[in-house]
Amino acid sequence: MTFTSPLFLVFLIFAVSINYALPQRFRHLFLILCSFVFIGFYNIESLLAVLVFSLFNFFLAQSVKGNRFLFLVGLFVNAGAILLFNYFNTATNGFVFTFSSIHFNLDCFIIALGLSFYSLQNIAFLTEVYYERIKTENSLYNFILYTSFFPKVISGPVMLPAEFFPQINRNSITKTELTIGFQRFLTGLFKKMVIADRLAPAVSSVYDYPTSYSGMTVLAATYLFTIQLYFDFSGYTDMALGIAKMLGYDLKENFDTPLRSTSVSEFWRRWHISLISWFTQYIYYPVVYKLRSFKKTAALVGILFTFFVSGIWHGIGLTFTLWALCHAVYLSFELFTKGIRVKLSERLSGIGYKLISAFIVFNAICFSNIFFRAASAEKAFALIRSVFTSFVPQQWLSGFIAPLAIGGHQADEFNLYISVFLFSVFLLFENRLNKMAKSAHYRIPYIVILLMLIMLFGVFANGARFIYMQF
Amino acid sequence: MLEQLQQVFREVFKDDALIITESTSAKDIKMWDSLTHLELIAAVETAFSIKFTFNEVMMFSNVGEMMALLEKKTKS
Repeated sequence: MTFTSPLFLVFLIFAVSINYALPQRFRHLFLILCSFVFIGFYNIESLLAVLVFSLFNFFLAQSVKGNRFLFLVGLFVNAGAILLFNYFNTATNGFVFTFSSIHFNLDCFIIALGLSFYSLQNIAFLTEVYYERIKTENSLYNFILYTSFFPKVISGPVMLPAEFFPQINRNSITKTELTIGFQRFLTGLFKKMVIADRLAPAVSSVYDYPTSYSGMTVLAATYLFTIQLYFDFSGYTDMALGIAKMLGYDLKENFDTPLRSTSVSEFWRRWHISLISWFTQYIYYPVVYKLRSFKKTAALVGILFTFFVSGIWHGIGLTFTLWALCHAVYLSFELFTKGIRVKLSERLSGIGYKLISAFIVFNAICFSNIFFRAASAEKAFALIRSVFTSFVPQQWLSGFIAPLAIGGHQADEFNLYISVFLFSVFLLFENRLNKMAKSAHYRIPYIVILLMLIMLFGVFANGARFIYMQF
Repeated sequence: MLEQLQQVFREVFKDDALIITESTSAKDIKMWDSLTHLELIAAVETAFSIKFTFNEVMMFSNVGEMMALLEKKTKS
């Protein structure tokens, strides 16, 4: 039951209407019930895991304040849970430990579904209570809702306790909020079904056969993958935020036009914001704080360690390690050249410096994403080699258009142009479109246009999976 | 205290013309981000011969808050 499946839409209509009709004091109980149905629908093992780990963390938190031993036990168990959820495969042959890299659209993963996102919130909660930054939560119901709230349980956004608890049973739901939430949900549906799912087969057709195409085709597919990943994941986030809004909750924004970043460190402040702020707060800062007397070396060790953990979190395997290594190298480079770059930006004209930087950063991100997307390290290296050998395709139609358009017919080519046109408009005018969507005047027309675009150009694949569901 | 702190900021961020006020935050200084934050903290600790706890480091949102804590620490 992914957010794009018809069954989920029925579930959503049911959940939103009943929640809206219920008196405020009962809503959190109803939402817990909905969350259990949502999780249990995937498989009963996931629901059991959520129940067991929620109870464990709730009761541990009651006495973790200032108790180092219990805190370490909690960290160990939750970190173990992330490894368990990410790497144990229970759907096929009982428990099979898969240390190879994770493939796309792996149906055999039971995914104790994105429960690695769930575990990050348990760790955040225990840490905040241990350091006495928040009081422990006395209500088991509130705690379960915090960790298992269904719009965010699969793939975030990762909410910190202080961001979520104050909202429980406090937010009113007006008709305007229902409209805004619905509109945000549709924006996500549009990004996923009209843009990301149209680009997915184009990327696959090139990435599955890394030695078959010329450099330009591979390069185009590589650019398209980063764009696909952005629309897939930011679309998912829009849907999560929209659903939560309709239920009376404001979840954290996860993206802030990241593909326009002018440095990689800026990119990480604008891409998957909730996850990176979790990593910054609970891994990077504690490490650098301990080593702070070593100045820049401390930051360097912090970066390497954070991306090492981030790589493991995304999946054990050479490809994710190489992806993480790329970013560790980029950020280390930026750490040591920050002074020069700030001076250079002041000397050169603003717009020129920004454009050149954004272009370099976009290419750097795309390069790292080759490892993120490729099925194996060998394939990734083969793709990189392809870019630098025979760049221009010998046959324009069969070597460039056909693989990217998934077919050599005029209709396929037309479809490709439509995709490129739609994502270009969206990428170029994203801020303006978002602003327009929020204004009371355009709210309804915006919904109508989104619905029309989804009907006309959407890929209806009965609930295609989101890329980030595998983590 | 602000002057002494300003000197530390200038050394860490390598900018001799940098002026800070109590309301200055990381947003106002291009060089001040998560990559340089702890380097700044370490330099402030050395200059004022004090130690910040991890919780304190995570709570500063501007120079004024840092100064308030510094005053408390240097007095005790």
